[in-house]
Amino acid sequence: MNQKARFSAWGLFKRGLTRSHWPRVWDHHELRDSYDVVIVGGGVHGLATAYYLARNHGITNVAVVEKSYIGSGGSGRNTAIVRSNYLTPEGSKFYDRSVELYEHLAADLNFNVMFEQRGHMTLAHSDSSLRTMRWRAEVNKLQGIDSSVIGPEEIKSLAPFLDTSDHPRYPILGALWHPPGGIVRHDAVVWGYARAAAALGVHIHQGTELTGIEVESGRVAVAQTSRGDIATSTIVNCTAGWASLVAKMAGVRLPIITRPLQAAVTEPVRQFLHPVVVSGSLHTYVSQTARGELVFGASVDPFASYSTRGSLEFATGLATHVLELMPAISKMRMLRQWAGLCDMTPDFGPIIGPTPVDGFYVDVGWGTYGFKAGPVAGESVAEMVANGRPGSLIEPFGLERFHAGTLTAEKGAAAVGH
Amino acid sequence: MSRLSERPGEVIDRTRPMDFSWNGKPYRGYAGDSIASALAASGVRVFSRSFKYHRPRGILTASFHDPNLMVQVGDEPNVRAGHRLVEEKMEVSAQNAWPSLGFDAKGVNRLLGRFLTPGFYYKTFMSPRSLWPWYQRVLARFAAGGVVGVDPQPGRYDHRYAHPDVLVAGGGPAGMAAAIDAAEAGAAVILVEEEHRLGGHLRWGDSDDLGALEELSAAVLSHPGIEVMVDSVVTGRYDHNWVAIAQRGVEGVDERLVKARVKCLVVATGTIERPYVFEGNDLPGVMLSTAVRRLINLHAVRPGERAVVLSANGPGDSAIADLEEAGVEVAEVIDARGDDTVIKASGRMGVQGVIDSRGRRHDADLLVTAVGWTTTTTLLNMAGDRPMYEPRAARYLSKSLPYDVLATGGIVGDGSTDQLVQHGTAIGREAARRASVVKFQWLTAVPTGVTRQPPDTSEIEVPPLEAERHPELFRSSTHGFVDYSEDVTSKDLFAAAAEGYDSMELAKRYTTVNMGPIQGKLEAVNAVAIHGEATGSSPLETSTTTWRPPYAPVSLGVLAGRQYEPVRYSVIQPWHERREAKPLVAGSWIRPEHYGDPVAEVTAVREAVGIIDVSPLGKIDLRGRDVPKLLEFVYVNKWSKLDVGKVRYGIMCNEDGVIFDDGVTGRLGADQYMMSSTSGGAAGVWNWLDDWLQTGFPDWDVKMTAVTDGYASINVAGPNSRELVGRLTEIDLRPEAFGYMEVRTGVVAGVPGCFLWRIGFTGELSYEIHVPSAYGLWVWERLLEKGEDLGVRAFGIEAQRIMRLEKGHFIVGQDTDGLTQGHGMGVDWAIKLDKPDFAGKPELMWQAERDDYRRLAAIQTEDPAIVPPEASQIVAGDVIKGRITSSRMSPTLGRSICLGQVDPDLAAPGSRLHIRLSDGVTVAARVLEHHAHFDPEGTRLRG
Ligand SMILES: Cc1cc2nc3c(=O)[nH]c(=O)nc-3n(C[C@H](O)[C@H](O)[C@H](O)COP(=O)(O)OP(=O)(O)OC[C@H]3O[C@@H](n4cnc5c(N)ncnc54)[C@H](O)[C@@H]3O)c2cc1C
Repeated sequence: MNQKARFSAWGLFKRGLTRSHWPRVWDHHELRDSYDVVIVGGGVHGLATAYYLARNHGITNVAVVEKSYIGSGGSGRNTAIVRSNYLTPEGSKFYDRSVELYEHLAADLNFNVMFEQRGHMTLAHSDSSLRTMRWRAEVNKLQGIDSSVIGPEEIKSLAPFLDTSDHPRYPILGALWHPPGGIVRHDAVVWGYARAAAALGVHIHQGTELTGIEVESGRVAVAQTSRGDIATSTIVNCTAGWASLVAKMAGVRLPIITRPLQAAVTEPVRQFLHPVVVSGSLHTYVSQTARGELVFGASVDPFASYSTRGSLEFATGLATHVLELMPAISKMRMLRQWAGLCDMTPDFGPIIGPTPVDGFYVDVGWGTYGFKAGPVAGESVAEMVANGRPGSLIEPFGLERFHAGTLTAEKGAAAVGH
Repeated sequence: MSRLSERPGEVIDRTRPMDFSWNGKPYRGYAGDSIASALAASGVRVFSRSFKYHRPRGILTASFHDPNLMVQVGDEPNVRAGHRLVEEKMEVSAQNAWPSLGFDAKGVNRLLGRFLTPGFYYKTFMSPRSLWPWYQRVLARFAAGGVVGVDPQPGRYDHRYAHPDVLVAGGGPAGMAAAIDAAEAGAAVILVEEEHRLGGHLRWGDSDDLGALEELSAAVLSHPGIEVMVDSVVTGRYDHNWVAIAQRGVEGVDERLVKARVKCLVVATGTIERPYVFEGNDLPGVMLSTAVRRLINLHAVRPGERAVVLSANGPGDSAIADLEEAGVEVAEVIDARGDDTVIKASGRMGVQGVIDSRGRRHDADLLVTAVGWTTTTTLLNMAGDRPMYEPRAARYLSKSLPYDVLATGGIVGDGSTDQLVQHGTAIGREAARRASVVKFQWLTAVPTGVTRQPPDTSEIEVPPLEAERHPELFRSSTHGFVDYSEDVTSKDLFAAAAEGYDSMELAKRYTTVNMGPIQGKLEAVNAVAIHGEATGSSPLETSTTTWRPPYAPVSLGVLAGRQYEPVRYSVIQPWHERREAKPLVAGSWIRPEHYGDPVAEVTAVREAVGIIDVSPLGKIDLRGRDVPKLLEFVYVNKWSKLDVGKVRYGIMCNEDGVIFDDGVTGRLGADQYMMSSTSGGAAGVWNWLDDWLQTGFPDWDVKMTAVTDGYASINVAGPNSRELVGRLTEIDLRPEAFGYMEVRTGVVAGVPGCFLWRIGFTGELSYEIHVPSAYGLWVWERLLEKGEDLGVRAFGIEAQRIMRLEKGHFIVGQDTDGLTQGHGMGVDWAIKLDKPDFAGKPELMWQAERDDYRRLAAIQTEDPAIVPPEASQIVAGDVIKGRITSSRMSPTLGRSICLGQVDPDLAAPGSRLHIRLSDGVTVAARVLEHHAHFDPEGTRLRG
């Protein structure tokens, strides 16, 4: 990035004085006839992959094709929770690397992604969920991840609005407490990666849809798009909710079902909730943004669909559950509700790796929890594309595990989407 | 400003003064005043400070959708002062101002404005990283909005269901006419109006308008077929015309959510006046023409002393007349239909002067703009419509609607009151007709054997309602605010486009335009137009706006309704309560954990006899010829030869071979079976069976009935159980007559229709008695009474868990997890891979070929006094080799006992393990030969 384009307080000041505009964050380009790598999907995964390909491996003849605008998929619709307190060693190791990347992302990308490590609290309402929390804490501790089980008093002091009094149905018995967890500004992550990748020479083609993949003798040959054909030997599928449709273009079948996940946001009020609070039993989680809004999420809808329309049942169910946790906020108002698409796998683990078609890689199956994995997945996928084989962090997540029967065990830890 | 003499259409009741406070000082208004009108009448001009720059803000629209009129009322944040009526003793205060509205310390941000360009926070605060938490706290302090308290007055909310034929959203002339004619045609109608009174724009109109309003509203209010809801908002239209209404003003509750399945929805939500973008357009004293007309005509408030009016339409011209009548000096009228316009409004805490495009400056404290209308298309959007921009009319118009949604009024076009009413009338009749068609479709969708007359299919002719020509006016030659609640200026939109955020979606997200509490109602169209100007495109023509639900922000309280979470209790609960059982939450059930001394409860069972309430056990009555096929399919073990009177244990796996439930099923008669499942798994098992029967085997003859609540279940366990049960029943209990894993039906304690099975989770001889629930408590008490001399004692879940652990029985979900497949749990004998098919078979076949999965093992620590907490990890160095899934101190053995999942290399009997306790210390332990720590041969059970 040239010096003039670098973001800084000084730059803001100078431009404020001269009232001049910043240079463009990324440019429009003509589609080239060929690219070394074509990345499908302009979400955090696709853009991070492009960035790390260029930065870590010097591969810059890269196109990111995005059918709509960047961040229009899950990456612009998620509730932006970042954490690493996963249940399995392979899961927590992977996400821990992601948290580490997030911690340095602003400086790395020269774009403040507003990563606020407010702490992440998963409530236990029954002794069986308390047992699962302990399990997670024990696994995390062994991985060196800051994670522990805390009791109602500490919960109350961290989040005074939580109702820790005697409840018949959903008493708050304890919580898994994960101080490094938090929230990030999702759009900023998407734009930060796009801008940094563009500065390194990557072409970001918005409004460009992949419509077909030509495979010649088992190898990727051509990416067909709504703006023309691209000759290429490598295609990376980073299309999340649309992943199985894109894989089908290459003749690859993925064990993925697409389901909507809904979310909602309230009007802003003054800060009163610092940590991110999750309740698995109530299928709800909530955080307050720096702007003062409460952001709510839930579990995926129980049916397959490509619709991103919100439902009334979601809104009413959500409110019931949220007020069960925090009865004091009944007068706050819900401002907006929406839905995004989630690519669910049978074991709640992602699918990252090569496929039976040479040169066709997938980084999909991110379901309800893939935003936080954007940086580490991008880094690992770039490494895989550059070296032709997956590295150790992502090895457990290959497509072949569904044939070999070596599933990952994140179902418990990821049951409420985020 | 001040109160005018009586106005013909005023809605205030001058005989009922209301005393309230504003920022701690006393104020007085009248019943019918909005908070804003009451304050305005007392001369208040500044109502809030803006979010980012802390600029003073005053009345803009004087309606619900006024971004500048968000106030705190008592413990309620973000109340719309342009809408909420004043009440006696109401405590109102300004939000977002510190220390006061007049002097706002954060107003320095105004000076810094040029540095706070859009997305400035993305560009700074990055280094040093150590300061970022501090920046976060500073940024957080700038969050807008009111405050919520930890212990507010709880609100009262409710839900109601409604099934109207026709629901009309919007009570203006067209909406009222539609409601009347739909009702006349026989439809049951609900009419919903956001404001406190019907009438829409007629309310602030001239005498003709008021006359028409009188007539229409009288007809609506007196019609028995119309239910009117005012101060109520249709918040959303969801799939299949599922419509949500947030209703206020219902006796006894603060708000109520009405959920209506509507046969035909009529959207008559009209238009909202659009602000104009120019320098100083957010100063207090810059108002929309509808705002001044509301203030003058509804609330008799003089909005200023000297006004400049920028008008591009008839209603704007009417505002001029209203102003003059109210005694406001109209200093200048700028006709925006020509080339003239406003360049700038100047002043500090409010408008003092206006500069027009001819460079003239006018002294004025009021600038009224009437530059166009935005159609409120939210509900149409939600019905799948993609309204298109019509340049001729400078607004979006509906394009295509589904059959069960119609639109009328300003959302369709313009016209005289008569024309609007005619259109509404026709739409109302058409709506009633379509409702009858929909109803016919519903009624004939299921075969009932009743012949029904098909409804009239000839469409009613609807007269055209053309949208009038209107100049496209969005922005003057200067820059001003586009989004008031987010403090986004037109300059910001230009900057965003120049930086590369050059599609509307990106620009919106980058600048946060449209993202505030007004949801884009005022600013969305301006934003699109100005973004188009900035990018040199004409996105208005090509874009549609998608408005997401809700139509207006809706309280969490009303969405939730009455706050209750149902819990389930067994019929024996009164007894448990009398004995002060410690409650335990088990899914939706509340069960006795123990009655004070779980160890003594264990001893009683092991040495005498105990009874436990196991009513929550899932129970499904299965009948029909093909039940054996179903059992064979859903269980992993063999079921074909289960004789009448026999019971068998079974395990169920998902398609991925993962164990998801276990239980016993008994054969009560030739074609009658009773299946039991775990308490927590009951609903899941039911769904699972139903799923397979409906999708996999629809032709099988199986009838399922869930009878969990139909029977109370009591397990009688312990060496004296045969004696005890024998005292209550004639059923032959001798071991040779009623063996282990058998079932009998009969009379217990005088209660017919019971069934008993001889099984045992505790490892003791035991009988599980299932009693028709009405008699559960009776039988329970008889058992205690008749068993006194036998040492009978009630025991709870904790004692049962200890005993099952002593016996090494696993609990699905505790000793298994989301990946635990059938093999490895010590039940391999039950998995019959030679069956032709069963759920999970392919995966279990794979599993059988491997050896890398964890095994369930009984584990004992070398130090018998240490009980490793459940979830402790089994480690080799730092590598995780398994975990403790269950652990207890065994009263029977006097030592600690565990079950755990361990890696295959450590699973062999005798293996030495290391368990890491939560404080980091590891303890040594050993794998046992059998899962049972106690009585592995099961002699006690079979006795
Ligand atoms: C409501 C909600 C809440 C969530 N909350 C969290 C959370 O708190 N934390 C978390 O970690 N995760 C969360 N997630 C999950 C997270 O959003 C996703 O896993 C993540 O954003 C996936 O990123 P991606 O880059 O892989 O996909 P996306 O961001 O979905 O990007 C895929 C892109 O591919 C494009 N595309 C599709 N088909 C084609 C084609 N044929 N040609 C070209 N382009 C195409 C799409 O337009 C889209 O932009 C949530 C998801 C939702 C819906």
